[in-house]
Amino acid sequence: MTEFEPKIITFLCNWCSYGAADLAGVSRFQYPPNMRVIRVPCSGRISPKMVLAALRKGVDGIWVSGCHPGDCHYIEGNYYARRKFTLLKELLEFQGIEPGRIHFSWISSAEGVKFAQVANEVISEVKKLGPAKHFIKCAPKEIAAA
Amino acid sequence: MKILHIDKASWDKGVLKSGETYRLTGPVKDKDTHAFKNLNDGELPDMGYVETKMSPKALLFPRSEVMLTYSTNPHDGNCNIMKEASKAYPPRAVIGIRPFDAKAIQLVKLNFDTEEYKDPYWLKAYEACTFVGLAINQPSITDFSTSCNTGPFDETGLDVLVVDTGHGFLAKILSTKGQAWADAAGFNIEAGADAASKITAMKKEAEANIVSKISVDKIAGKTVLELFDAGHWEDTAFGCINCGTCTFACPTCWCFDIQDETYGTQGVRIKNWDSCMTGLFTMHGSGHNPREYPYQRTRQRFMHKLKYFMDKYQEGIMCVGCGRCIKQCPANIDIREICNTMNQ
Amino acid sequence: MINYTENIRKISGDLLKSGKVDVVIGYKKGTLPGINEPFLARTPEDAQKLVWDSQCRLNLANYLTNRKENVGIVAKGCDSRNIATHIIEHRVTREQVTVIGVPCTGMTDKNKLRELAGGEITALTEKDGIITVTSRHGEKTVEKQDLLQSNCANCLHRNPVINDIPCADPVPEINTARNDAEIKAIEAMSPADKWAFFEDLLSTCTRCYACKNACPLCYCPTCFVDESRPQWVGKGDDPIDVRTYHTLRAFHCAGRCTDCGACEAACPMNIKVRLLTGKMEKSCFERYGWEAGLNTEVRPALDTFTLHDPEEFIK
Repeated sequence: MTEFEPKIITFLCNWCSYGAADLAGVSRFQYPPNMRVIRVPCSGRISPKMVLAALRKGVDGIWVSGCHPGDCHYIEGNYYARRKFTLLKELLEFQGIEPGRIHFSWISSAEGVKFAQVANEVISEVKKLGPAKHFIKCAPKEIAAA
Repeated sequence: MKILHIDKASWDKGVLKSGETYRLTGPVKDKDTHAFKNLNDGELPDMGYVETKMSPKALLFPRSEVMLTYSTNPHDGNCNIMKEASKAYPPRAVIGIRPFDAKAIQLVKLNFDTEEYKDPYWLKAYEACTFVGLAINQPSITDFSTSCNTGPFDETGLDVLVVDTGHGFLAKILSTKGQAWADAAGFNIEAGADAASKITAMKKEAEANIVSKISVDKIAGKTVLELFDAGHWEDTAFGCINCGTCTFACPTCWCFDIQDETYGTQGVRIKNWDSCMTGLFTMHGSGHNPREYPYQRTRQRFMHKLKYFMDKYQEGIMCVGCGRCIKQCPANIDIREICNTMNQ
Repeated sequence: MINYTENIRKISGDLLKSGKVDVVIGYKKGTLPGINEPFLARTPEDAQKLVWDSQCRLNLANYLTNRKENVGIVAKGCDSRNIATHIIEHRVTREQVTVIGVPCTGMTDKNKLRELAGGEITALTEKDGIITVTSRHGEKTVEKQDLLQSNCANCLHRNPVINDIPCADPVPEINTARNDAEIKAIEAMSPADKWAFFEDLLSTCTRCYACKNACPLCYCPTCFVDESRPQWVGKGDDPIDVRTYHTLRAFHCAGRCTDCGACEAACPMNIKVRLLTGKMEKSCFERYGWEAGLNTEVRPALDTFTLHDPEEFIK
């Protein structure tokens, strides 16, 4: 049996973590290819609806990364994001999403090493949990029958 | 009309036996209420139930129903062609349905089974059903069914009317479908000569216990615009929060919304319950909404039930007086009061 | 309670007569025992129909949203906190609203009433904190205290926080700290059990949206459930769609919810939807010391921040 390779949706802030991913790449830092990156203008742009949309599509893990507090391109977007993520993570875990499926980090564009390191951490944690079990919107049985 | 006598022990046995021929559906305990559900093997309908929050309309008109399936994959032979979802409609016995709910199905039929349009999903499910009704001995204080051309012992739309006499059941066979079900259940002991008068007496007593009444005589005489433009609507509808509780609980509300859901290259077209209480119900593609304000939606519901329907079909009002909307409304919007206001 | 009603009528009548307000939002006697109907009084004569008792479960702040005229509004503690939230969120202006404050001793739980009656309630009376319900099975008399909705039993702010014209003297508070026992019990479950718990909890939901429509916080011109580009959630009764709806509803109320209990009282299927909003309020309180609607100055929890908000989970 082949090893489980999770699909992880990664929301990266354009001004920092997305650059860090680029830097990690050009610097040849290794991390497994389980990420599907979505570039966002700011971690504050991320709505819980987006996280739920990813879960509903059946992703195994979610990782959101933005600028360190104080470094936001829009001055304070990530401060609002921090509160939003806190509550969102608590609300999802309260309903049975396992801790370890949803990850957050602050990574500046100079931190290519940290990016690769966190990527490895996220992937290994999600791998440990196995495939996503909950919050997946499945096709109705009529499709399978068709 | 044949009337059978069934003692309570034979009833249980017979119902289970009919399950060999029919898929059985009936009221069962569901959390703090009762609900109409398909019965499992060996499960009996609860004939002592008082009410179900949701009406049994969902048996023929489910909350969400897949109608068609499709593929958008160009390599599929039937790419972009809608296919009817495959479904089975084995004979089904709906046991314990209340007379007003059976009457409601006849009203809904006016919409789903017309000369011009026939809803195949509703009709196939309908035709597969045998309705074994249970008369209401103790009407609720919100029951005004006798004002709505039905009543606690109404036989409209039923194949069998079962009356609980306390000692056993009297089952009045009303159609060949009903007879077939009774045969499948092995019910064949004819009741004594006094059974018919017993049912009539119980019916009279139950009807006398109905405390709620409405009257629509003046509504019939008024014009649509007179009722529509009446000054009271903003105040009448003030408390209404425009949720869908009344429309979903209502046995006669038939509106639906069609949605496509796509999963990769496969998809389904689904019929969902819709509610005139929501703004989206009338929202145009342009963004204009002819029912922009909440009170207009509330008005629509009552105008449809008490006026438009009456004028269009000449079959009375689109309400069977079950009282579900009155009991469940979070804001105490009471159709009886509104009917009174309209009927002044 | 009787003098509450009399005072509300008098205050409202005077307000309408003097022209200080154009309308008064309150309750009138319901058509069924155990429920009252929200009511808009336009004239001093209308004001004589206003009532107050322990069957006023909805949150009247919900009826205040986007009103343009000068409004008098009868408000219990939680309603007044939602009025404060409305003012912060610019749904109404402070000047426009005259709050007729009701020191609240709690609302009865509609399900406890039904269970007490043992069947359909045919009559209900309330006097001096004693409630008598009548059904076909006879009459039962119980102290109102034992019939309270759980949010009322755990209430921390029974007296209105905005109180222009009090209709009675303040009542003593009955609690000093949050009671999160129910939420903590869920938190202690394993993820699989938590999932199963909510699966069962929401299994009877019909998506009638009574919970969101009863909520004064839910005033968006287009709710996310109605958005179509993209469509975030399906329209049917698929359990994941139901769960998505309830999750996002709770999240949208986070830091704004006053735990008035209108959502739960409105739910025709008796789903404990407050467990989700309650979890959010617990988090806001524990992490940010935040309780919604206590004044008209401070922005709600998700609309503000501090430089050192807790972030132990962020890598």
